[in-house]
Amino acid sequence: MNYFPDEVIEHVFDFVVSHRDRNSISLVCKSWHKIERLSRKEVFIGNCYAINPERLIGRFPCLKSLTLKGKPHFADFNLVPHEWGGFVLPWIEALARSRVGLEELRLKRMVVTDESLELLSRSFANFKSLVLVSCEGFTTDGLASIAANCRQLRELDLQENEIDDHRGQWLNCFPDSCTTLISLNFACLKGETNVAALERLVARSPNLKSLKLNRAVPLDALARLMSCAPQLVDLGVGSYENEPDPESFAKLMTAIEKCMSLRSLSGFLEVAPLCLPAFYPICQNLISLNLSYAAEIQGNHLIKLIQLCKRLQRLWILDSIGDKGLAVVAATCKELQELRVFPSDVHGEEDNNAAVTEVGLVAISAGCPKLHSILYFCKQMTNAALIAVAKNCPNFIRFRLCILEPHKPDHITSQSLDEGFGAIVQACKGLRRLSVSGLLTDQVFLYIGMYAEQLEMLSIAFAGDTDKGMLYVLNGCKKMRKLEIRDSPFGNAALLADVGRYETMRSLWMSSCEVTLGGCKRLAQNSPRLNVEIINENENNRMEQNEEDEREKVDKLYLYRTVVGTRKDAPPYVRIL
Amino acid sequence: MAKEGLGLEITELRLGLPGDNYSEISIWGSKNKKRVLSDMMTSSSLNTENENGVVSSAEDESLPVVKSQAVGWPPVCSYRRKKNNEEASKAIGYVKVSMDGVPYLRKIDLGSSNSYNNLATVLENLFGCIGLGVAKEGKKCEYINIIIYEDKDRDWMLVGDVPWQMFKESCKRLRIVKRSDATGFGLQRD
Repeated sequence: MNYFPDEVIEHVFDFVVSHRDRNSISLVCKSWHKIERLSRKEVFIGNCYAINPERLIGRFPCLKSLTLKGKPHFADFNLVPHEWGGFVLPWIEALARSRVGLEELRLKRMVVTDESLELLSRSFANFKSLVLVSCEGFTTDGLASIAANCRQLRELDLQENEIDDHRGQWLNCFPDSCTTLISLNFACLKGETNVAALERLVARSPNLKSLKLNRAVPLDALARLMSCAPQLVDLGVGSYENEPDPESFAKLMTAIEKCMSLRSLSGFLEVAPLCLPAFYPICQNLISLNLSYAAEIQGNHLIKLIQLCKRLQRLWILDSIGDKGLAVVAATCKELQELRVFPSDVHGEEDNNAAVTEVGLVAISAGCPKLHSILYFCKQMTNAALIAVAKNCPNFIRFRLCILEPHKPDHITSQSLDEGFGAIVQACKGLRRLSVSGLLTDQVFLYIGMYAEQLEMLSIAFAGDTDKGMLYVLNGCKKMRKLEIRDSPFGNAALLADVGRYETMRSLWMSSCEVTLGGCKRLAQNSPRLNVEIINENENNRMEQNEEDEREKVDKLYLYRTVVGTRKDAPPYVRIL
Repeated sequence: MAKEGLGLEITELRLGLPGDNYSEISIWGSKNKKRVLSDMMTSSSLNTENENGVVSSAEDESLPVVKSQAVGWPPVCSYRRKKNNEEASKAIGYVKVSMDGVPYLRKIDLGSSNSYNNLATVLENLFGCIGLGVAKEGKKCEYINIIIYEDKDRDWMLVGDVPWQMFKESCKRLRIVKRSDATGFGLQRD
């Protein structure tokens, strides 16, 4: 290869797309490292504090697409306080200063301000794509800057963000000359939408393939939008509470029938079930259906809809579908690859006998041979069911089971669920992500350590008996990248057994466990390439340094590898050892 | 269901809700479980004030594990949780109404009623019955049917005791019972 000119090698490298492969290429020799870094267009940074913007730009000056993730996963469940960190502004400032030709920015769990969006919109002439997932800190004013200033904008995708909706006219800010939109998703906006502006925008966007509306877009507007955009592939319906009058309904049906390219449907925040039949004609084409926010669609209506979706590959649903509904899915959706069943009643108030159980899970595993990813919330489980699932579906890549009640045993035998999860890890040799729940002893971790060779992410809650549990996992799962543990009796012995191990992982989270301040200090002592953060929001516990008790248990520990040392933007209640 | 009957079971090493394994022969159905749990919680040392209280550890054999009280559990992302709450709070307007002897239930919009009398009238119209009334304190109850409601704590209460607004906010569902069937109402502990 070294006899070829650099341009040829670079051309060959263009075919290598995955981040991991490109990272591997860059390690072969100095010349490959140089060619690779100068030709790298897309960079993925799984932890924004593992590196800093200056070093990123220094290494990859030609980058066009940047993906950044900020807060740890458990931030989704309110376990990480606000202002912990993950600010995107310094990154945008650095990229702007260095005149990087940024075209795409994808952020997850980061704090984004209107100021950063404004700066972003003004600094990169070719900016095309902004994807924000589970971010916070901005308002519709920031969106207005993006709309107004990004002349080449193709994608604005806002997923599950906390956005302060100023009910402004951000949609009006797209100039009339903007005709390049391919994807627009504002489903998470809570306020009113200027429907007229939206219709004009859609009408002048012939390339629009993905449109996801918020709840403020009414039925008749939906019909008009779909009429202007029959080329849509991905549609997120807003909501409409009242039952439609026959005329509106007829218009909707006509519009939908023309959308033969539609493959993905979502939204339905509040839907009068009588509106659903309007969508029947396109169900046979659907490969993705997300009804997980549609609390109003129950029983028969749901089943009728699903029975028509024979090509479905991805289904997100609420547990109100019940075991009976899942049996229908199993019988109909033979192409199903990913299933997520969310709890409709998060607070456990209702005595919901219609919710799903182990029966539904087994039915799905038996009926859907291509299933490889599952997220399943349920009230009860048995070892027998998990063993059956393992046998039916040895191809799981992601298996996340959440039994709503902590420590709940097999509801028939009253034993722990060690054997059930053991069967899963033993059968599913390609398993990369696992979440366990229910009553579990150290034994399940022995199985995980022994069999889950490809496991990269493990989530543990209310499980295990002793430090041995955590040690089995750390010693056994060589490919582990992210380990997150809460409310489990693992302590210093497990934490400190192999400190070097943590540099091979992205991060470790432990909250409400048995690790102490002393243990964390010892961990941090000889690990310059690890940031060991103690998050302690309780005012009373903040003592003077010479008074502190090293036996004090640490409420939340978050440690991650980094090449840039301690971060400077941590709030006072985060202590970095 | 006598509390004494559960005395031994409390100390048994089980990690499910109390009452899970017992056959419930009671017209009050599921409310029973909730009631027992709340009784046990007040009599135990569990901290029940803090809604995000600590889940008791598995070592504590004598106490049942508090159901879903830990912060961030179940692991549903906060965006989805908020949406869930929004749906739940929007649904408060409509409550189910059942009447003894009638095979189907009805739903009324509590939000659109403005007083107890108004409620009684609406219910009369709904079920086509007469002799429906809200018992007034101190007065002898002369109605054939009386209205009861299930509150947030899953207790069945007589409609009319509390101010209208307070009632509206705590009422989860309504039930019309024959007065003759409801002897000693309010004093029954199960």
